[in-house]
Amino acid sequence: MTMTNLRTLCSSYTVAQRVLARSLVALWFGVLLHGCGGGASTESNPVTTNTGNVGSSSYTGPNAQTDDIRAFQLNVWENLRTSSRCGACHVEGGQSPQFVRQDDINLAYAEATSLVELDNPPASRLVTKVAGNHNCWLPDDAACATAITSYVESWAAGTSSGGRQIQLIAPIAKTPGSTKTFPADVGDTGFETTVWPLLTAHCDGCHVDTSPTPQAPFFSSGVVADAYAAAQSKINLNDPALSRLVVRLRDEFHNCWSDCGSDAAAMESAIAAMAGGIAANQVQAPTVFSNALTMQDGVSAAGGNRYEQDVIALYEFRTGTGSTVLDLSGVAPELNLTLSGDVEWVGGYGIRINDGKAQGSTTNSKKLHDLIKATGEYSIEAWVVPANVVQEGPARIVSYSAGTSARNFTLGQTQYNYDFLQRSSTTDGNGEPALSTADADERLQATLQHVVVTFDPLNGRRVYVNGAFTDDMDGVTPGNLSDWDDSFALVLGNEVSNDRLWQGVIRLVAVHNRALTLEQIQQNFAAGVGEKFFLLFGVGGIGGVPANSYIMFEVEQFDSYSYLFSEPTFINLDSAFVPSGIPVQGMRIGINSKLADVGQAYANLDVSVNSTGYDSETGQLLSNIGTVIALENGPNATNADEFYLTFEQLGTATNVVVDNASTAPVPLPDPGAMSAIGLRTFDEINATMAALTGVDLAVVQAEFLTMRQALPAVETLQGFLAAQQMSITQLAAQYCQELTGDSVLRSAFFDTAVSAPTNFDFTAPVGTAFSGGKASVIVDDLYDKMIGLPGTGADLSDAPTRAEIQEVLVDGYTDGGAVASLFDTLTTGCASCDTREIVQGLCSAVLGSAAVLVQ
Amino acid sequence: MSKTCTSRDGVRGAVGKGLTLGVAGVLATVLTANALAGEPERRQAKRIHDRLTGVAPTEAVLDRMEAEINSDPVQGSVAAARIAMDGPNNPNSKYFYNVTLKNFASPWTNEEQSAFVPLNDYSATVIGMIRDDVPFDQVLWEDILYKGADDLLNEGVSAYSSSNNDHYQDMEDLHKDLSDPTVLEREIQSSLNGIPSSATAGVMTSRAAAEAFFSAGTNRAMFRFTLMNHLCTDLEPLKDTSRPPDRIRQDVSRSPGGDSRIFLNSCVGCHAGMDPLAQAYAYYEYDENSGALVYTSNSVQPKYLINADNFRYGYATPDDHWDNYWRNGLNANLGWGPEIPAAQRNGAKTLGQELAGSAAFARCQGIKVYRAVCLSDPSESDLTSLLSASSFTTSYNMKDLFANAADACKSD
Repeated sequence: MTMTNLRTLCSSYTVAQRVLARSLVALWFGVLLHGCGGGASTESNPVTTNTGNVGSSSYTGPNAQTDDIRAFQLNVWENLRTSSRCGACHVEGGQSPQFVRQDDINLAYAEATSLVELDNPPASRLVTKVAGNHNCWLPDDAACATAITSYVESWAAGTSSGGRQIQLIAPIAKTPGSTKTFPADVGDTGFETTVWPLLTAHCDGCHVDTSPTPQAPFFSSGVVADAYAAAQSKINLNDPALSRLVVRLRDEFHNCWSDCGSDAAAMESAIAAMAGGIAANQVQAPTVFSNALTMQDGVSAAGGNRYEQDVIALYEFRTGTGSTVLDLSGVAPELNLTLSGDVEWVGGYGIRINDGKAQGSTTNSKKLHDLIKATGEYSIEAWVVPANVVQEGPARIVSYSAGTSARNFTLGQTQYNYDFLQRSSTTDGNGEPALSTADADERLQATLQHVVVTFDPLNGRRVYVNGAFTDDMDGVTPGNLSDWDDSFALVLGNEVSNDRLWQGVIRLVAVHNRALTLEQIQQNFAAGVGEKFFLLFGVGGIGGVPANSYIMFEVEQFDSYSYLFSEPTFINLDSAFVPSGIPVQGMRIGINSKLADVGQAYANLDVSVNSTGYDSETGQLLSNIGTVIALENGPNATNADEFYLTFEQLGTATNVVVDNASTAPVPLPDPGAMSAIGLRTFDEINATMAALTGVDLAVVQAEFLTMRQALPAVETLQGFLAAQQMSITQLAAQYCQELTGDSVLRSAFFDTAVSAPTNFDFTAPVGTAFSGGKASVIVDDLYDKMIGLPGTGADLSDAPTRAEIQEVLVDGYTDGGAVASLFDTLTTGCASCDTREIVQGLCSAVLGSAAVLVQ
Repeated sequence: MSKTCTSRDGVRGAVGKGLTLGVAGVLATVLTANALAGEPERRQAKRIHDRLTGVAPTEAVLDRMEAEINSDPVQGSVAAARIAMDGPNNPNSKYFYNVTLKNFASPWTNEEQSAFVPLNDYSATVIGMIRDDVPFDQVLWEDILYKGADDLLNEGVSAYSSSNNDHYQDMEDLHKDLSDPTVLEREIQSSLNGIPSSATAGVMTSRAAAEAFFSAGTNRAMFRFTLMNHLCTDLEPLKDTSRPPDRIRQDVSRSPGGDSRIFLNSCVGCHAGMDPLAQAYAYYEYDENSGALVYTSNSVQPKYLINADNFRYGYATPDDHWDNYWRNGLNANLGWGPEIPAAQRNGAKTLGQELAGSAAFARCQGIKVYRAVCLSDPSESDLTSLLSASSFTTSYNMKDLFANAADACKSD
């Protein structure tokens, strides 16, 4: 690395002096720049003030002569001095270097200074040695390396005053490497003969615009150019195995057509064949682009400025491998956790609980009991990503317990709520009643959240989410913790009895033996979680932009699948620099020599870097928007993801960016064979019956409303149900009852040339009223008004014929044998029946028939 | 489009030949199979009336409609359709408004898309605009609302209120004739609900729409359902992950459940375009207590800023300025109209103009009308013919659409 433009002279070796021309002090709080040297990714993990009988030192030698030596003693020496660790050999009279000698801390310090890189703790000899299989006291070397890195970082943090100091270093200028990108014309690729056949053969159930259930992207389109355009974002030419088309089959078992493994292999092979025919590209003019960087080229800014004065157990999940989660609190005994079951490490520090847990020993868990009972108050702090908002139990996120019925404390989840159970003198041995966040608030979301629960005898239990008190008041009078049991175990992600699984990602857990204040919680929330880097993309010399100019991003691995880019800032490492209106427009993030397909949140950026907005210490923030960019190779792999920036305009340099071409409008799919007719629906049936009978809608309203939703709701014949026919029948009967029971309506309806009302007596007995063939006359009227509609002409030609209706209703017919008519059925043996009811029956038969129902 | 089933086949398939009866629950299905012969125009007239009004015509009206078809083989069916919808002297014309249009519009007014909902100011406005031949693109942006005449107070109809639906419920319960301009009257919306005229946006700012789509949530529902109801597309087919995500609000997790692939491959596809458009509704809210639409000029509703810690680097809505990122990329094929100047891209009214000015809006009205009248989805050629025959993209006259759709499927 080269250092440029040091504003203050950097002369020698100590951390304080290595603070350089431009360094950042907790940039996210407000940046103060210095400069020089490499940056330490450090935690503000200063002197522990715990005074309990756990973790106290037995050192009796000379006092530390300086603050730095004191910081070394507390953060490194105390942690490594025991005979089970480095103290077994590297002590006075023992093996050199004697950096944990017991007799004089000042001499030990002198030995240690050559073994550490305070500005780059992971590179310290202490770390690399143990990582190289040198007497690790933990199950795997990586865990020991992580632990010692943490100790050294704490030393560095404890040395500096006023917060973390992060130095900006000009990275080595390099141009983006070469990668393959998609040719604009599908004809220039082998897509049509490699990938497209697989897509159209197996994915066209959904991923085609003409599907009954269309799912974008439409890469199975029958138009190869359209399919090519849609498929590009799902294909990785540089590493076919990472193509979304392959991952979906191989890892997510998404609608495989035979065996997912072989299907994925076939798809990968097809993509590889296609990629083989495409030459690698390099980013070059006329594209306006910055220098390129990997995460490793960045300045580490991990952790931020956390408040950890009273931490007694701390888990940051840095190891990334193995089955041990280290307690980095520095408070002995170390309460390391052992992973069991289905638990995986995730990128950017964290573990994902799928079906397992992380549990400590009961022996070491006892320190929680001891240290918390000593103060009578405590806090549990966690950065978590609940996998969903349906798990309950409560599902255990952090628990110090013995099973489902005995605990000291538990932080859990019940759907959208956080639960806080605690044993005390006013709750039971299972910590109940619990304090839960209010249902309506839906505090818990399936996204990264900072949750803190606190207890103290004055305020009782409290819950804070994302730096805010939830206002959920503890319904229980605060008690004391004298009944806590020291035989329980600390466990994450499940109950110790394995029957209260919580699924999700845990990225940090801290137990404090004080109730954190709101300000302290907000400080820790603002500090964030995970490893952050400042990436300085060199733009000096482009379009007249002055040398030593950079676009600086804060970048972190967001989860296992993406990076978070935020706080884009224009900065020049020359403190005397004053910008004079440098336009920055249309900035895009490139990864591995191609622009990221998704997440170009700065594509609409249009700002001018000028003296008004620019601060010589902090630069000029270009946007307060952050964005996530898909991870490809990862930040640490041998071919680590390499980033660069492009611009539509930077200074005087411009580059026209052509947006994705629009595809032609999608034509409607052919609906296929459809019935030309359909049913009348509920309101139409009601209105039709009213219109045909002349009965006012209001008269039958009550009956109609009771059966409204039992009538057909859609026109399609296939959906017609017997139950609907019964409802239609009932409604028809109701209308016909009103029609036949009302003399005015009756007269209007039946008053035709062939059946004057005077010729039909509704009050006469059946035998009299229907004499002389009047049943046929009645049916003729019904037919004319409801089915045939002859008007001045003939009956409708597609309706049942008048003769057919007469057969069915009056005359009878044969259908494999004689079938009696409705009239005969109703009147046989019923000479004294009510004539009006007989007419009503005939009317209902017509009004409720398909001839009326179908439109 | 091929349609293989005849009407007689349909009748037969539906009910078969038979008769079910009883005295108490009498009934019946009649069927038949007689030969098709003669009078196709009369059958066509019957179907046109059936489809437009939902009820059978009187014999006299059928005579007149048949005569219209006979008199002019080209435009006769459209003229007949006009008789079905508007008379004169058609006692069943009112059912085009009270039944057909009411059930045409009702599903647009609730999230469940149910037609079993009472008449409301949204559906009444749609009915009124169609009845009065108001260009239908105005449905998403005009300062317009329909309500019952004041005289209805004397007939048992509650007075109009911007805080409840009683007025419209009463009109439905009392079967008021919505085809009558003296019953259902056009009003200036802003004079009724008290919001500035510049904040009105047709049915989107009706009380019913507010209750359904501005209630709780984040107001994205208003955008989504407006798309579904008036552009005939849900968000899924519009997914375009290549749009800049700079306007996606903070409440959208970029790593749902700890897996950012979900965001990068799915969420962003809709939100990148939707959020900058739905920003137009930033000043609107539905007050559950008062039952009224609330508009806070120059003040973003808190619902736009909730769950900000889901992604603190997301977009914090400062105002109601909207932008249409879908003018470029995949969704340019929605056929957007002339671009509205940036200075005017504030609030729901101009958003309504943006949506209603698209080709997708016009196509959607054609699709919906075709479905309502022809009882099936149109093919591309069906739709093209319908829009062309009715000149809808210039007139936005819905009755012309209905009439031409009836003409299009008057025959088997």
